[in-house]
Amino acid sequence: MRKRIKHFLFATYEDFDKARDAIAELKMLDLKEMVVQNIEIYSPIEHPEVEEILGEFHQPIQRFTFFGAISGAIGAFLLVAAAAQSMFTVQPQGGKPVIPLPMDIVITYEGTILIGVLSTLAAFFIYSGMPRSLKKHYNEKVSEDQIGVEVQVLPKHREKVREVLARCNASEIREVTL
Amino acid sequence: MGLKRMLENWSDFRKQDYYEDEPYMWGMSIDLNKCIGCGACVTACYAENNLPTVGKEHYASGHSMHWMRIERYWEEPEGEADIDIKESEYPERGAHYIPMMCQQCNHAPCEPVCPVAATYHTPDGLNAQVYNRCIGSRYCGNNCPYKVRYFNFFDFNTEIPHPLEMQLNPDLSVRSKGVMEKCTFCVQRIRAAKDAAEDEGHRDHIEDGSFQTACQQSCPTEAIVFGNLRDEASAVKQSWEAHEVELNRFEQDKSEDIRGYRVLEELNVEPCVMYLDRVRDTEA
Amino acid sequence: MSDYKMKDIEWAKINKDVLESLESPRKAFWIVLGVCAFLVSLGVAAEIYQYNQGLGVALMNRPHFWQLYISNFVFWIGMSHSGTLLSAILLLTKADWRKPIYRFAEAMTLFSILTAAIFPVIHLGRVWNMYWVLPYPNERTIWPNFRSPLLWDAAAITTYATSSALFLYIGMIPDLAICRDNAKGWRKKLYTALSMGWMGRATEWLAFRKTYVLMACFLVPLAVSVHSIVASDFAMSIMPDWHITSFPPYFVAGALYSGCAAIITLFVLLRYVFRFEAYMTTEIMDKTAKLTFAIAMVWNYLNLSEYASIWYSNDMFEKEVLLEKFFGPYCWVVWGMLLCATVAPFAMAFKKVRHSMWGMFWLSLVLQLGMWLERFQIVSPPLASNHEPWTWAVVWPGLVQLTITLASFGWFTMLFLIFCKVFPSVSMYEVKEMVFHRRKASSRTELEDLDKVKDEMVKLEEKLA
Repeated sequence: MRKRIKHFLFATYEDFDKARDAIAELKMLDLKEMVVQNIEIYSPIEHPEVEEILGEFHQPIQRFTFFGAISGAIGAFLLVAAAAQSMFTVQPQGGKPVIPLPMDIVITYEGTILIGVLSTLAAFFIYSGMPRSLKKHYNEKVSEDQIGVEVQVLPKHREKVREVLARCNASEIREVTL
Repeated sequence: MGLKRMLENWSDFRKQDYYEDEPYMWGMSIDLNKCIGCGACVTACYAENNLPTVGKEHYASGHSMHWMRIERYWEEPEGEADIDIKESEYPERGAHYIPMMCQQCNHAPCEPVCPVAATYHTPDGLNAQVYNRCIGSRYCGNNCPYKVRYFNFFDFNTEIPHPLEMQLNPDLSVRSKGVMEKCTFCVQRIRAAKDAAEDEGHRDHIEDGSFQTACQQSCPTEAIVFGNLRDEASAVKQSWEAHEVELNRFEQDKSEDIRGYRVLEELNVEPCVMYLDRVRDTEA
Repeated sequence: MSDYKMKDIEWAKINKDVLESLESPRKAFWIVLGVCAFLVSLGVAAEIYQYNQGLGVALMNRPHFWQLYISNFVFWIGMSHSGTLLSAILLLTKADWRKPIYRFAEAMTLFSILTAAIFPVIHLGRVWNMYWVLPYPNERTIWPNFRSPLLWDAAAITTYATSSALFLYIGMIPDLAICRDNAKGWRKKLYTALSMGWMGRATEWLAFRKTYVLMACFLVPLAVSVHSIVASDFAMSIMPDWHITSFPPYFVAGALYSGCAAIITLFVLLRYVFRFEAYMTTEIMDKTAKLTFAIAMVWNYLNLSEYASIWYSNDMFEKEVLLEKFFGPYCWVVWGMLLCATVAPFAMAFKKVRHSMWGMFWLSLVLQLGMWLERFQIVSPPLASNHEPWTWAVVWPGLVQLTITLASFGWFTMLFLIFCKVFPSVSMYEVKEMVFHRRKASSRTELEDLDKVKDEMVKLEEKLA
């Protein structure tokens, strides 16, 4: 299969407001001329507002947590209950029932949390797209104090978009072709 | 497979006292009136159960391995004492003796706390210790209210002085360091008697008195009676009945002339050893 | 406006300061590390001796089946509590002063669990069979005994160690990316692998925040359950003065208490060794100290109510142990505990103490000593006067146990210092967030001020007109 060539513009901004302005202008332009294929924001800290700018992200991590926790609880309970009577012979101890429920609850609780945490983590890796290798045009300034805006464009629109990005005081704009 | 078995027998597994309907439950009765504190039972236990003799220093530092011990308690005399207690080493009336060994509790606190299930309850009511499985967490020792579990703090079995290794009992093992051990009611003798009974064709019945534990055998005053508590005709059962000691009771109703009691039974551990209180003349 | 301190630090400076801590600590760092390595080697020697000879050389004996190893275990598990639990609670309550200190507090959690996990192992009679407590399938269908509180311990500690290690790691990913962008040589390789291609994309940030909060939600009940389960080791037994209903909350409070004290100790130590004066401010110390004080009072209450309930129950065995605790051979341990952990924290009621770094350092050490003594007096005196008077004996821990105890402190400090040298011990991105939000908030108040001025001018003009 032939790999599709992708063209990117990668602009960095000094603060988040400038980047937001740039994206707003790009969107205005996009409404008129359909120049932008995809926008991504790179930032050194979390900005919860990006969802308002870029649209909602579909990341149902909590669902993984919920079902992970439930299966952890069931699994842990079955493990302890089955282990208590699957010895080569049943082992009654201390006059207590072979399957003592109050004691099994403790392990069930721990199992719930362990599997819950692990499945949350699995969901994190699924929805954040990690682990992955760094993009070639990744700008190290982004991990320090700059906001990066990555725009995927068609080559014919490149100049227009570049102009918009530069107009909003971008400190640097890189052109990348993959 | 395990799951299917669990669901099929769920109500069984949720029942307390799983072995209610077994034909055996070994019990003991010790008459403190008869006990003279001679220590023959202790010696017999050493010989029968391959207990290491640890020597003076280890004994003093609390590393001794006697599964059975004679505890001595002094009672301060009521009223005026004839001799001043401070002058004499002991009060004049002498000690009470209690031979103390594993009480084979039916609700043994040592059993459920073992992390690897090295100690469990056998169908014949014994509190079994699996040496091979023990990893030496010593939780059972802490949780035993009688403190009758003995831990191999050192590798005593490699240091048995020369002629003594020839008297080791071949019917049971020697224990290595890091393992908990305790009185088994001479389980090797119980096993032999059961095998013999099975050969004779009566699996569920062992003639009372057809075998003895080592301590019982060696007691010069026959203070120790051992047998099957589920056998109505056995001497131990009759002794329990005569002294109105029952299982599943927190505290026995003790009237003046009934001497039977179980040590620390208020902890609800259901010990299988009954003691008969020593009666003393309060005037003497 | 103390709330808006730390708003003027440049982001680039944050990166520079924290990254420098990975390269050039003060000399004290290497000295402490050397001492710790020496202590650890002593401990290893003691353990080899004990392994070969048997546990008798540790001077434990029949009533004293458990001693210093178990009390150390409880101590280290307790210390592990504050880090993750406080970090998670403060995260959920959005307290932003957590941000400069939570990283090392979480690392402290992880390493004190790793230290604690050593103790049940070396305490075993047959260490070589320790894997028998794990539920692994085998052809003889022999399983561990899940009725035992020791197994609950194993389950709880596994869960806690896993979850808090992951919590620490997840929270560190953005910082590892910063390190990756600035490092060279072996560090570059390490950070590249560990940061897993974090680029700070919006998708990553949103997934990250969601995951982080969800994990925090799990960690709060988990941490509480872990120390309640450790308390069950004692509370589930029938020993007098171990079998106490209030033990689980008492242990949790004690754990938070000693953990907070440990946070203060390490706070001052890191601030000095890595020159973090700009981030670990007196403002944060003040808040941590107040928190510690509150927890100390909770612990005090539970401790005293335990005495009271034993006294009023008038139970023969328990009362005996209580009296033995206060007036018996172990009495100085108990009185020492009361002095260090009950009386000493009242010093934190004074602002002067809370604001003096080295004062808090020494105070926190005293509190930790008190809590260490507390763990010893939980384990030993009840064993010394148990149900069976014939076995009563007083035993003090021997040289082997003391050496291994000392080594555990060395081991913990060594691991912690190595962590701080390899990984950023102050969270760079969260400090940036804090600076960002505080700056925003203060500019908002400035704007409000301007509005007021404007209003006044309008009023003035109206008057003049």
